[in-house]
Amino acid sequence: MKQKNIDNIIALSNDLRWQIGDEFHDNLAEGIYADAAEIVKGSVHKPNGNKRLRLDAKIDKVLTSKTWGFPLMFLILAVVLWLTIVGANYPSSMLGNLLLDTIHPALKGFASGIGLPWWLDGFLIDGVYLAVAWVIAVMLPPMAIFFPLFTLLEDFGYLPRVAFNLDHLFKLSGAHGKQALTMSMGFGCNAAGVVATRIIDSPRERLIAIITNNFSLCNGRWPTQILIATIFIGAVAPASMAGIASLGAVIGIAVLGICFMFLVSWALSKTVLKGEVSTFNLELPPYRPPRFWKTIYTSIIDRTLIVLWRAIVFAAPAGALIWLISNIYVGDLSLAAWLIQSLDGFGFLLGLNGVILVAYIVAIPANEIVIPTILMLTVLVTGISGGEGAGVMFELESASATGDILRAGGWTLLTAVNLMLFSLLHNPCSTTIYTIYKETKSTKWTVIASILPVILGFIVTFLVAQIWRLF
Amino acid sequence: MNTYNPFNALLIFLGICLLGYLFFRPKHGWFWLIKNNSTTTQKVVAEDILKRLYHNENASNYLNINDVVRILKQDEKMVVESIDKMVTLGWVKMEGDIVRLTKSGSDYALRIIRAHRLWERYLADKTGFNKSEWHQRAERKEHELTIDDTDLLAKTLGNPQFDPHGDPIPTISGKMAKLKGVPVSELNTRTIGRIIHIKDKPDIIYKQIMAENIHIGSIIRIVEKSPERIVFHSEGEAFKLAPIVAGNITVSVLEKDVSYEEDILRLNSLKKDEIGKIIGISKEIRGESRRRLLDLGFVKGADVSIDLLNPLGEPKAYLIKGTSIALRNNQASKILIKK
Repeated sequence: MKQKNIDNIIALSNDLRWQIGDEFHDNLAEGIYADAAEIVKGSVHKPNGNKRLRLDAKIDKVLTSKTWGFPLMFLILAVVLWLTIVGANYPSSMLGNLLLDTIHPALKGFASGIGLPWWLDGFLIDGVYLAVAWVIAVMLPPMAIFFPLFTLLEDFGYLPRVAFNLDHLFKLSGAHGKQALTMSMGFGCNAAGVVATRIIDSPRERLIAIITNNFSLCNGRWPTQILIATIFIGAVAPASMAGIASLGAVIGIAVLGICFMFLVSWALSKTVLKGEVSTFNLELPPYRPPRFWKTIYTSIIDRTLIVLWRAIVFAAPAGALIWLISNIYVGDLSLAAWLIQSLDGFGFLLGLNGVILVAYIVAIPANEIVIPTILMLTVLVTGISGGEGAGVMFELESASATGDILRAGGWTLLTAVNLMLFSLLHNPCSTTIYTIYKETKSTKWTVIASILPVILGFIVTFLVAQIWRLF
Repeated sequence: MNTYNPFNALLIFLGICLLGYLFFRPKHGWFWLIKNNSTTTQKVVAEDILKRLYHNENASNYLNINDVVRILKQDEKMVVESIDKMVTLGWVKMEGDIVRLTKSGSDYALRIIRAHRLWERYLADKTGFNKSEWHQRAERKEHELTIDDTDLLAKTLGNPQFDPHGDPIPTISGKMAKLKGVPVSELNTRTIGRIIHIKDKPDIIYKQIMAENIHIGSIIRIVEKSPERIVFHSEGEAFKLAPIVAGNITVSVLEKDVSYEEDILRLNSLKKDEIGKIIGISKEIRGESRRRLLDLGFVKGADVSIDLLNPLGEPKAYLIKGTSIALRNNQASKILIKK
C-alpha cells in the first residue's frame, strides 16, 4: 500500500514536471535576477547617476580610437620590452660577476682547501651550483623589471583595453582577446604567461592560450637571439647596418612567433579543442591610479619569486646532468660526445648540429643555460683551446670571441638562422611544462603543449635547411 | 653524411605530408573511413533500421526491405541478415514484403531515439561543438550509450523535455511530449507564433535555416504568403524563405490576445547614444554562456547603451548597470531589446 503511494507521488511529480515545461529553470533564474535588479533600483542610491566619469571616457576614447589605439599599444609594449632587456643588463652582469666570477672560484678554492675529491667538487660546484647561479643571474633581473611594469599597467586598467582592441583578431583564430595579455606576459616568462591564462574564463580559449604561450619569446631566449643575431646576421650586413640588421632579425623572430601563435590557435580551435565550451565576455573596469608599492611587492613575491624558485628547482639537477654526461666516459668518449655523435646526422638534416640538439635536451629546465652549454660542448668535442674544462659551462665577455668558438665548431649562417628558429620553436622549459600541468590538471594537454612546438621546430628548420641548400 | 640531396629530402617530406593528409583529412581521410567501417557492426545496423522504421511508421509509412536498404545506404546483404536476425529476436515481423515493428522493437527504437536526443542536448549545453555537428555526433554516440548511461545523462541534464532542435525526448517509460505545432508554410498571414522546432534533416535546408540566424524560441509574425515565398518578421528583422524551407520550421500559434511587440530588436543593432531596454536572451545562448550573461546583468528590464566602439568593429562595449562589458556581435545578436 505504502509502496504504491510512493509510486503515485513519483509519477505525479514526473507529470507535473512535464507540465511546467523545459523553460522552468531559465525562467526561475531570470526572475530572481530581475527581482534583485528591482530591489537594487529601489534601495541603492548612486551619487552621480549612470554617467561614467568624464576623464575615464576621455582616456577610453583615445586608447580605443582607430588612429591612436594600435600605435599607443605597440609603443607601450616596445617600451616595456626595451626597459626589460636593456635595463636588466646591468643587474645581470653584476649578479654574474658576483655569482659566477667571484663566488664560483672562491667555492672551488675552498673545496680544494678541504681536499674534496675532484668528482664531488665538479658535480656539486661546476654542475649544480653553476647552473643555479646562471639561472638566477640571467633570469632574476628581467623578471624583476618586467612583472612590476606589467602589473602596474594591469592595475591602472589599461590591459583590458588592449584585449578589447585586439579581440577581433583573436576571434578570427578562435581565441579570446585576453590572450593578447597572456601572450605579452609570455614575453617575460612563459610559466608566468601560463599562470596568467586564469583571467580567461572560457575553457576552450584558455587551453588555446596555454598551449600557444610558448610561441612568445621569453626572457630566457631573448639573450640567445640577440647574441646569435649579433655574431652571424650582423656580420653579413655592411658594418654601418650591422646593428639594425641583427635587431631586425630578432624582432622578425618575435613577430614570427606571434604568427605561429595565431596559426596554431586557429588550428587547435578547429580540431582537437572544438568540443570544449566556449564563452566570451570582457569587463572594462574603470581606470584608477595604480597602487605603486603594493603592486611592486605583490608582483615580485607572487610572480617573480615563485617562478624563480621553480626554475632553480629544475636547474639544479640539469647542472648535475650536464656535468655528469661530460665527465662519464664510455670507451674513450664521454657520454656527451657519444650523444653528440649520434645526433649529428639528424642535426645536420635540420641545418643544426649534434651539439645544439644535446644542449637543448639537457637544458630543458632553463633556456638560459643553452648558450653556455653549447659553448662548453663545442669546446669539448672540437678540442680547441678555451673554456673552463669538461662539464663547466661558460660564456665569454666578447661576442666575437664567442663567434670564433662557434665557427670553429662548424657553424655557418644557416646554423645561426636555424638556431634562432629552433630557439623560438622548441618544447617549453620544464618550469613551464610543470606549470601547464598544474594549470590544466591534464596529462593530455601537457603532452600536446610540450610536443607540438618542437615538432613545428623540426619541420620549419628542416624546410629552411633544404631550401637553403638547394640554392 | 653531407652527401645527400636536399631535393630528395624535400620530396620525401612532401610525400609524408601527402600521406598524412590522405589519412587524416576531414570526413574522407582513410583513417576515419577505416574507423567508421570497423564500428559499423550488426548492432549499429539493427538499431538504425529500428529507428527508421519507427519514424516512418509514426508517419504511417510502411517500408519493405528494398526501402530499408535504400534509406540506410548500407550493404544489402548486411541489412537482410540484420532483418532476419531481428525477426528471430522478435523486434520486427514480416507482413508479406513489409517490415513492421513489434512492441518490443518499438520500445527499443524509442530507447535509441532517447539516447540520440539526450546526447544532442548534452552537446548543446555542456560542450562547444558547433550546432551543425550535433546530429552527426549523436548518430554515432546513440549506439554506444547503455540504458544506465542514458538515465545518468538525463539526470545530470535535469531530465530535459526537448532536444536542441525542439524534438521531444522520450522518457524512460517511452512517454513523449506532444508537439502541437504548425509548419510555417501552412500559416496564414498575420498569424503570430513561437518557433518550437527546426528539423535537422535534410542537411542542406537545415544549414540554410541556420545561416539565416533563425532560432528556436523566437516569436514570429507572418506578413506575406505566396506560392513562391513566405515573409515573416522576427526580432526586428524580415526573413524571406521558400515554402519548402519554411515547411521545416514549426511554430506553436499564440492566442490572439498575446500582444506581439513589433519593435523588438537585437542588441547589435543598437546605435551609439541610443538606450535600449532588455527584453530577454535568446534560447540559442545556453549553459555557461547564458549564466555568465545573466550574472553580468543582462536581465529583463535593464537599460543598456553603447559605451565604446571598437577600432576593429567588434566587440563593442555595452554599458549595463554602470559597468562596461564587451560583447561580440554574435552574442549581442541574441540579446533582445526594445528602444
